[in-house]
Amino acid sequence: MSADNEQLQFHCLGGGNEVGRSCHILEYKDKVVMLDAGVHPAYSGLESLPFYDDFDLSRVDILLISHFHLDHAASLPYVMQHTNFKGRVFMTYPTKAIYKWLLNDFVRVTNLSENVGDGSGGENANSFLYTDEDLRESFDKIETIDYHSTVEVDGVKFTAYHAGHVLGAAMFFIEMGGLKILFTGDYSREEDRHLSSAEVPHKRPDLLITESTFGTATHIPRLEREHKLTKMIHSTIQQGGRCLLPVFALGRAQEILLILDEYWQEHKDLQKYPIYYASGLAKKCMSVYERYIYMMNDHIKAKMAETNTNPFFFKFIKNLTSMDRMNDSGPCVLIASPGMLQSGLSRRVLEKWSPDPRNSVILTGYSVDGTMAKNIVREPSEIPSLTNSETMIPRRISVEEISFAAHVDFEQNAEFIDLVNPKTIVLVHGDSNPMGRLKSALLSKYQKLRSTDKEIKIYNPKNSTVLSLEFKAQKVAKVVGQ
Amino acid sequence: MAVIYYRFRSQKPDHIATIKFDGTGLTVFELKRDIILANNLLHSTDVDIVLYSTEDIQDTKSWGDQSGGSSSGERELDDDNEVVPRSTTVLVRRTMTPKKNKGNVQRYVAGKPRLQVSGA
Ligand SMILES: [Zn+2]
Ligand SMILES: [Zn+2]
Repeated sequence: MSADNEQLQFHCLGGGNEVGRSCHILEYKDKVVMLDAGVHPAYSGLESLPFYDDFDLSRVDILLISHFHLDHAASLPYVMQHTNFKGRVFMTYPTKAIYKWLLNDFVRVTNLSENVGDGSGGENANSFLYTDEDLRESFDKIETIDYHSTVEVDGVKFTAYHAGHVLGAAMFFIEMGGLKILFTGDYSREEDRHLSSAEVPHKRPDLLITESTFGTATHIPRLEREHKLTKMIHSTIQQGGRCLLPVFALGRAQEILLILDEYWQEHKDLQKYPIYYASGLAKKCMSVYERYIYMMNDHIKAKMAETNTNPFFFKFIKNLTSMDRMNDSGPCVLIASPGMLQSGLSRRVLEKWSPDPRNSVILTGYSVDGTMAKNIVREPSEIPSLTNSETMIPRRISVEEISFAAHVDFEQNAEFIDLVNPKTIVLVHGDSNPMGRLKSALLSKYQKLRSTDKEIKIYNPKNSTVLSLEFKAQKVAKVVGQ
Repeated sequence: MAVIYYRFRSQKPDHIATIKFDGTGLTVFELKRDIILANNLLHSTDVDIVLYSTEDIQDTKSWGDQSGGSSSGERELDDDNEVVPRSTTVLVRRTMTPKKNKGNVQRYVAGKPRLQVSGA
């Protein structure tokens, strides 16, 4: 066997020093496992794809999709229909159920700004990456897996664990050629209103591939965060303003809705003001949310048992399917996609509400470089109009960032790494700076182990690069006869 | 009207697109620019567009050239001034540039061909 073959090759096709287009390839002893097939939210078309030209996709045996977010799943139909990929694709049941609606929408939205309820397409509108037909044809070939049950394909074994990020989100524990690898995908170690915290697998991986979205940042505690959110909304409404919450159509939006519905319940003075949730997808996916309640946490299961109704059907939230049905004459809350204000409904409303200082926009997700969400946090005095790029619109709307993105912060990530106890770490899914800081922080944390056989190696590869990783423990000779 | 055929390297072999032009060939510079424009690859500053020919174009260049780490039979078209004759098929590779934020896209859209220094 050649020397190369003894090393695990990690090909970073996307999500290397960036948040977006997650895609990694693991190659070891002639087996090839691909992780995620996302798009980049700041780009559209071919530019939004991972760097697929850098790897011969016909060699991939298995492709595992961590969750339904577009930056992890939205180039899957392209991979399955337009490339030489011939492998098998796996995701959890809820991921597949929601993926279907999300991507349908992603494909369908050719006219970015006009579809009210379907703004997730605007997250990264691109109709020409693939068609409805591509989506349909590829959809049936996707296989589903349960959490905690191990699947084996030609000697490669993998198991899905709860990642606590969105419904259906999985971490994958992979065993190939005697090596153990854990891929976290996007994960959270904090129980919230509907999801439980990410699990720690029982086995120790040789390699941990972990997200680094928040780098070395520290989250403010969840209750404080919720309080900040409701306080800001309450005061906006009291001063006669409107409140815009740009969100990704599904997933974290459900958490925000749970918080707001409960708050409205407790505050009679607010009940005459509408909360609009502009999502055509939400309705379609509510049955998915109901069906998989058993995959969520005890809080939401209890709520379901108590009321005997779907806890995601809300009392104070009006589902908005058409812009015309929105009463924009007084204070209100509007929850609309896309989450990064690139285009679509949330962007249109932002431009409309931007000049009035009584209004506010609250960013609850992670904002990627190059998007309006990232821009507006810097509180510019004006913002460009999307429909007429020559026109600038005054920005007097107040801007607040309160994260409900469900990614680990430094402390949570570091604690998880300790519990998992890997030999080597590859950082992905983070902008260069936070990722670089995380790497330094971890290196100094493990400094004592340097140059010992317990040394923990940490990498932060760029896109279109290949890491060759050696795992010495693998060379231990087997005792004859065992 | 003449055409040059191309496809992205990861795409299926039958995924052939065309660049149309008048004349007997395009320089590598012109061809890259047209492919970048045709696919709207204008926004990334950190991307390199690399072309490979699957057949020998200029005999003198094909000797023992294994550039690009690509499979056998592919040759990187790294000379902006080389002429790609009509009806040729080329492979396109979209890759992250190793040079920070200095991808070649902008040069092909706005700039000038790089002169190949002979003997270098
Ligand atoms: Zn995610
Ligand atoms: Zn993500």
